[in-house]
Amino acid sequence: MTATQILIALLLTPLVTATFIALFMRRLGAIASYFSVTAAGLICIFSVLAIGHFDGSTIAVSWDWLRFGTFEVQIGFLFDSIAATMLTMVAFVGFLIHIFSLGYMQSDTAKARFFGGLSIFMFSMLGIILADNLIMIFVFWELVGFSSYMLIGHYLDTEEAKEASKKAFIVNRIGDLGFLVGIVYAYWHFGTVNLPKLEALVTAQPDLINATIAAFLMCGFIGKSAQFPLHVWLPDAMAGPTPVSALIHAATMVAAGVYFLIRIVFLFPVEVLDFISYLGATVAVYAGFCAYAQHDIKKILAYSTLSQLGYMATAFGLGYPGVAFFHLITHAFFKALLFLGAGSVIHGCHHEQNIFKMGGLIKRMPVTSITFAIGLMALCGVYGMSGFYSKDAILIASGLTNTPIFVLLIIGAFLTAGYMGRLFWIAFLGTPNSEAASHAKESPLTLLLPLVILAMLSITGGLLQLWPDSLGGLIRYDVDHLHHAEQYDAMHYFVLKLGTAAWIIGLLAALFFYRVGASEDRLKKNFLPIFQFLHAKLWFDEIYNFYVANVQQRVARLLNFLDLLLIEGLLIRGSAGAISLLGMFARSVHVGNLHSYVYWFLAGMLLLWLACFGLF
Amino acid sequence: MSTFDLDSLLLLSSILLPLIVGAFLLFGAFLNKATRCWISALGFGWPLTVAVLLACFFEENIGAYNYELCLPTGLQSIGIYLHLGLNAVSMPLFLLAGIVGFSAGLYAIFSQVDRPHLYLALLLFMLSGLLGTFASVDVFFFYFFHEFALIPTFIMIGIWGGSNRRSVALQMTIYLTLGAMLSLLGLIALYIASGAQSFSLPELRSYLAANPLSQTVQNNVYGLLLFGFGILVSLFPFHSWAPKGYASAPTGAAMLHAGVLKKFGLYGLLQLGWPLLPLGAVHWLPWIIWLALANILIIGLITIAQRDLKLMVGYSSVMHMGYAFLGIATFSVVGAGGVLLLLLAHGLSVALLFLLSTCIYQRSLTLDMQQMGGLATKAPVLAAFFIAATMASIGLPGFGNFWGEFTIFVALAEDVSTRWVVFPAAIGIIIAAIYGLRASANIFFGQPSSGFTERLQSGTIRDLELHEKLPATILIIALVVLGIFPRVVSDAANDELSASYSLSSESRFPEILLESPINKIQLEETHK
Repeated sequence: MTATQILIALLLTPLVTATFIALFMRRLGAIASYFSVTAAGLICIFSVLAIGHFDGSTIAVSWDWLRFGTFEVQIGFLFDSIAATMLTMVAFVGFLIHIFSLGYMQSDTAKARFFGGLSIFMFSMLGIILADNLIMIFVFWELVGFSSYMLIGHYLDTEEAKEASKKAFIVNRIGDLGFLVGIVYAYWHFGTVNLPKLEALVTAQPDLINATIAAFLMCGFIGKSAQFPLHVWLPDAMAGPTPVSALIHAATMVAAGVYFLIRIVFLFPVEVLDFISYLGATVAVYAGFCAYAQHDIKKILAYSTLSQLGYMATAFGLGYPGVAFFHLITHAFFKALLFLGAGSVIHGCHHEQNIFKMGGLIKRMPVTSITFAIGLMALCGVYGMSGFYSKDAILIASGLTNTPIFVLLIIGAFLTAGYMGRLFWIAFLGTPNSEAASHAKESPLTLLLPLVILAMLSITGGLLQLWPDSLGGLIRYDVDHLHHAEQYDAMHYFVLKLGTAAWIIGLLAALFFYRVGASEDRLKKNFLPIFQFLHAKLWFDEIYNFYVANVQQRVARLLNFLDLLLIEGLLIRGSAGAISLLGMFARSVHVGNLHSYVYWFLAGMLLLWLACFGLF
Repeated sequence: MSTFDLDSLLLLSSILLPLIVGAFLLFGAFLNKATRCWISALGFGWPLTVAVLLACFFEENIGAYNYELCLPTGLQSIGIYLHLGLNAVSMPLFLLAGIVGFSAGLYAIFSQVDRPHLYLALLLFMLSGLLGTFASVDVFFFYFFHEFALIPTFIMIGIWGGSNRRSVALQMTIYLTLGAMLSLLGLIALYIASGAQSFSLPELRSYLAANPLSQTVQNNVYGLLLFGFGILVSLFPFHSWAPKGYASAPTGAAMLHAGVLKKFGLYGLLQLGWPLLPLGAVHWLPWIIWLALANILIIGLITIAQRDLKLMVGYSSVMHMGYAFLGIATFSVVGAGGVLLLLLAHGLSVALLFLLSTCIYQRSLTLDMQQMGGLATKAPVLAAFFIAATMASIGLPGFGNFWGEFTIFVALAEDVSTRWVVFPAAIGIIIAAIYGLRASANIFFGQPSSGFTERLQSGTIRDLELHEKLPATILIIALVVLGIFPRVVSDAANDELSASYSLSSESRFPEILLESPINKIQLEETHK
């Protein structure tokens, strides 16, 4: 097979699978699940084949999709080192999560819908990765939004899933509005939306770079990667099944926002980049604080994802897209591991998600606990783990270029260790705090195997020397670039010391403050105002809810009322009324009554006289 | 001029057969159910078969028509012929009429109504009129067939309509007749002012290209057409007939009217507006833009406030017409192409939504969305269809509506003077997501509302049945085909539109041409 054929097969496999499941396997959940897992396996094989064909030179092919006059849309592939790297990550992490889902969703009643949704998601995600132009990215971008909607709403009879799925889609649409407008403007500004052509154009004429267009395009990233102020959907999205949270809301889809930025990095002027870096650093700290007020193990991890996405955005904004991409890949490994670990815990504890009702899991679920600890260490950036290399690079990049951001990121690193320590000490150590936790059993092999593999990747994934040569070109380039920066060595040791101190202090502080296996939140008990402040998350949800209920809904009702009153009532009934009044008047003139004719005659004479005297 | 080859006879038969079958059914109260079903299935099925056949053998023939047929009518002295034919713009709409007509018919055949023979007969008359509208080359018959399809709508609402059908039917009749009168006035004015002595569209077009009308005449005629057609397409503020009318109309009539008949006005503007009256079109440009924005934003917000499912679908269809008007206002091939795609996709999706709304009503026995909830547990297939239809109508890629809306946005940004419109117009995609997802969530997800629990537990709620599933599937497939492979329509339509649109810009519009962005790009390219 040629490379193009492989890519086509790669993209179509999950689509065909999802279609088959939707059409024929609605009642055959088990078969559907094997079908979907096989598709995920095929994706892995195809991506290995594609990378085998890939020799470092970009594969770019496209076909006409739609053409009207001067407007042309193509569908095509841009398979370069960046796409290959992302594809490898998505294919393998996706496959592992599919396997995990086999066990996790075993007793679910709507398995076919779940696995069909996963396949649709894989299709859409692969589309974003391979797309060669902005319009095609947008098409698949919306489709991942839809699959996310479908999977968040999986437990569709719960109010939580109902609200969360709706919220995720609508909030994403707000970001997509900017993205859409950006694409439309870019089309006429640059004359093309094809990524290689755009890059060539902008390299030749740098003054074509337009801050407005870049800012509009950035909105898409803000929505999808759940950055300020559109971050509100991600914590709620945890209402979906845990494998979905791992795949879509941690490892791949939310990271697609960052991937998109990396794809169009050449379109960004300095102002917008600066904005993104400050935005990212703020979110990194903000989300870190929010995590302390959460009791739900998945929500803690969700805020952690927000915070790490902030790190990626910061690295991108500082001008190191490769470093951002590096963190994206390592984060996918360890965050998928953490979420699946949480899934294993939830599975073991009979759907208990409150960490204060767990405790002592390390004895009952040793494999889960150890792999979770590995993920935790990678997230905190413990020396030698995958997260260390990427986070270290981000910290160095910020230390070299921007001190305020550096300070924020160090605080973020400290907070990360703190909330992860809190989670681990409380949920995994000590003694069980509930009936469910004391009966917890280690999960079956389908759940553990992905955990173990992801744990190995979380340890070694950061060693670029181990990566195949064809992958990670941009990452190597930017990391090398960083290594050759002035004052690199001094900064390197400084960051190493500071970063290590941050996670050690964070973990220990959490240990001393919360104690192992605690059954209640000491922050809530002893420092209620602080807890409440953190719990309120700067009142974003409240503000939005207020807006929806009191502004949008009221305006809508008012308009509806005015529509009925003015247009329906006044204009239509009014004109109907005016006509019937006219009719009544005309009728009253011809009643056949002599008296009234005399009066009319008199009135007419009077008018005539007045007219003659020039009174009109 | 008239050729009687098989193709054109097929075209004629597709219009006549529903008429004949309808007329037969009108007096067919004595027929038993099975016979009635089969006969009417023939009436609904034949046009679709013909439309698919004609679409398959369609030859691209720029500036001319396929399957032409020209019959004398006795009115030759004023240039009226029964002139049928299809070009690349009308062919897809003809097919749309066939598809929606067949789906609506299929559903109607199996639905329980009083006097089914009359119901089916009227629906067949409507279908015949619709097919005739889009197959007419002659402007007079274009109008005639529209009126022919409109009258059964009123009757159907009057007989089988829902709550307060009398007043709704009356209001709709007055409103739409007013719109039709205005557009007829416009068409007659066009005929007289042009002096072409013909109602034939291509003749008018070539004649007016050579002898353009004065600015004043163009302004007046375009104004008549804009508001005449505008009323028929529920342009703000002439929209209030639409949601109520559709909410009250029986399903088949709502599907055919909202899905196909309503497209008449936009199709008219597309074929007659800019190609024949470019100066008038430019004169009315700000009006169209502001009114269309009102359609999108004001009606969009009103849609959010609706609790009644059918009213919501009705308002949302009014809202989406705003995009189509914006596309009309771009006067470019891109915009016209976007309008064409949106007309097709919207026709399919809104027909589907009305169909599914009725299916929901039959299960929930209420249309108040806040009195429902949790229906997906009992009717998962219905939920899947409804969510797919909602996603299509709010412009999710993969369905045709996305390409329509997106192309229109691109067309708006092409010209610097309308570039600002893109942003407010695109806010509509959020508004649409809000009402669409809210409706899906309230009907299907979560826990049932207190009054609905009993109904949900009663065990009488069944999932979508075959006679409901089949028409819905046909519509969905058409939407997906349009979404995945828009070139089925766009390739041929692009050439056709390029021909008719460039003709008008070049021959009569030198001063605009200088500012036209297409030209600017060409200029820039020559600079490079």
